[in-house]
Amino acid sequence: MRITIDNDAAKFVVRLADTEMILGQRLCEMCSNGPFLEEDIALSNVALDLIGRAEQLYKIVSEIENKGLSADDYAYRRNEREYFCLKLVEQPNTDFAWTITRSYLHDVYANEVFKQLLKSDIPNLAGLSEKVLIEIRYNLTHARDWMLRLGIGTEESNSRVQGAVDQMFRYVPEIFHWDVVDNKYLSDTAAIEKSWKSEVSALLKEANIKEPELMDVVMRDYREGFHSEFLGHILTEMQFLPRAYPDAKW
Amino acid sequence: MESGDKVWEVFIQKKSGLPFKHAGSVHAYDKKMAIQNARDSYTRRGEGRALWVVPAEAIISVPLDEADAYFNPSEDKIYRHPTFYDIPDGVENL
Amino acid sequence: MDKYQAAFDAIIEKDDRVEPRDWMPDDYRNNLIRQISQHAHSEVIGMQPEGNWLLRAPSLRSKQVLLAKIQDEGGHGLYLYSVAETLGVSREEMIDQLHEGKAKYSSIFNYPALNWADIGAIGWLVDGAAIVNQVSLQRTSYGPYSRGMIRICKEESFHQRQGYEIMLHMAKGTPEQKEMAQDALNRFWFPSLMMFGPHDADSAHSSKAMQWKIKRESNDTLRQKFIDKTVPQAEFLGLTVPDPNCKWNEETGHYDHSPFDWDEFWAVVNGNGPCNKERLDHHKKAHNDNAWVREAAVAYAKKTESTLV
Repeated sequence: MRITIDNDAAKFVVRLADTEMILGQRLCEMCSNGPFLEEDIALSNVALDLIGRAEQLYKIVSEIENKGLSADDYAYRRNEREYFCLKLVEQPNTDFAWTITRSYLHDVYANEVFKQLLKSDIPNLAGLSEKVLIEIRYNLTHARDWMLRLGIGTEESNSRVQGAVDQMFRYVPEIFHWDVVDNKYLSDTAAIEKSWKSEVSALLKEANIKEPELMDVVMRDYREGFHSEFLGHILTEMQFLPRAYPDAKW
Repeated sequence: MESGDKVWEVFIQKKSGLPFKHAGSVHAYDKKMAIQNARDSYTRRGEGRALWVVPAEAIISVPLDEADAYFNPSEDKIYRHPTFYDIPDGVENL
Repeated sequence: MDKYQAAFDAIIEKDDRVEPRDWMPDDYRNNLIRQISQHAHSEVIGMQPEGNWLLRAPSLRSKQVLLAKIQDEGGHGLYLYSVAETLGVSREEMIDQLHEGKAKYSSIFNYPALNWADIGAIGWLVDGAAIVNQVSLQRTSYGPYSRGMIRICKEESFHQRQGYEIMLHMAKGTPEQKEMAQDALNRFWFPSLMMFGPHDADSAHSSKAMQWKIKRESNDTLRQKFIDKTVPQAEFLGLTVPDPNCKWNEETGHYDHSPFDWDEFWAVVNGNGPCNKERLDHHKKAHNDNAWVREAAVAYAKKTESTLV
């Protein structure tokens, strides 16, 4: 069975869903690997927000597409090229600085996107966005505070977070390569880019982190299902059981 | 080994109108982290509408050896309790 | 007898609670620290076998439920470390003792989680056994421990149901799923019964702990309670408890069981179980690899907060 997504609104929502899903899965990797117990618990809370959000978004996709597929079908039965998450969120937990930087850059983006979706006419999306924004406000604070601790903390933490920012910035430009679908469902894509840049610039400055230049790296766009090599591995692991036992119900 | 993480006592108010209640403690390195850790560790099931964290070292308590001196004197002052007073039957709302 | 000992004895006698500021015998304190830190470590190490399936949880629902459950285990470890800290031992010292192999944790977590049904079996049997023990500990004589247990029992009530729900799906699912469920039960049955510890006659710490009302019921009593309530649950699933002698005994009013393999139990306790080294290495690695994060947090606080208050 090959799952295609045909409706523009569903194409738009599945990008958000996949992005939240894969970031959630990445944060699951941190469970029992946090720097201390309290932070382990905190990261699990963030992961729970993300996966819960992905599930709700997949439900919206499923309603729009109306093909009798469930949220789980969308998460578990699509291949790499049929996934539409940002490359940013596929990046690994190389160290805690990577984990935090990835979340921070994502949260700023997601915050701006969901703000605009408060007025979305895609059914159920405006209502969901209200709830999501409350979660993001907290998660963003958590990530931002850690960016400051790492940036200002020690020489080592500063150099690690600088490395993470340098690496992650390679995956930022594609976020702003808005296409027709984005522009159809977001009221002002240019404003998202502007707000993202001013928030991130200000934070990096406060945290003593040098802001890398945003350069276009030659990589095809996530909107066409092009990914880093990481995604295949993430999906292989995540989808193993439903793929190996297609008739089973869990 | 490293030090610098502090123990913070966590107090939660469940509903407005209720007193804050001690819930336990968390470790944290700064104030903002302390209140966030308390939130993530102690209010996962909607237990709270308000939260305090207090550095454990800032709490002053009565020394064990002085407990008698602090608390016994109040034990024989039964006139502070309403049951001390006899009110004749028939008097209401008192 | 001095007045402090007398006051302590009176608290125990009256079934009151000992509080952190009260005087207590050193043995009582040490016994508590040993038991509570072991309990805390068990919660924290217990995150690993379940974490082994978190990334492979087969549905969005099961992934969220499992993550919430593992997170609770971490939270319960945290509550228990907090309790132990009221007795004058720091979390750092406890973690050092764990890493040096001086502190133990429940042996059950040294068994591997090999298929998805193991996640069901862990919730149903391992948490089930832990809950029987923890319910009893709600009446323990040390106040903070008792309060911690009340909180933990309240939160854990969903854990066992989560496990049983997975077992139900597996046992009533495809033949392959049912096979996984039976396999999980086969592997986890005896280890979870041995979680209650040695028989009463052979339990080194038990009698003193019972006298002080740290422990309220004996290992064998708790174990029998667990067997009696769990066997019918296995029958409902259509699974077979891997013990031919596990039959209802009209005379005793309990289920019988075969003798346990205590050699295996002690081998695992003493470090030679299937995953002892892996569990400890995992914990050390997460702790040590992240030392720089904690150092950064200390440095940041020093730079930005002149005083804590």
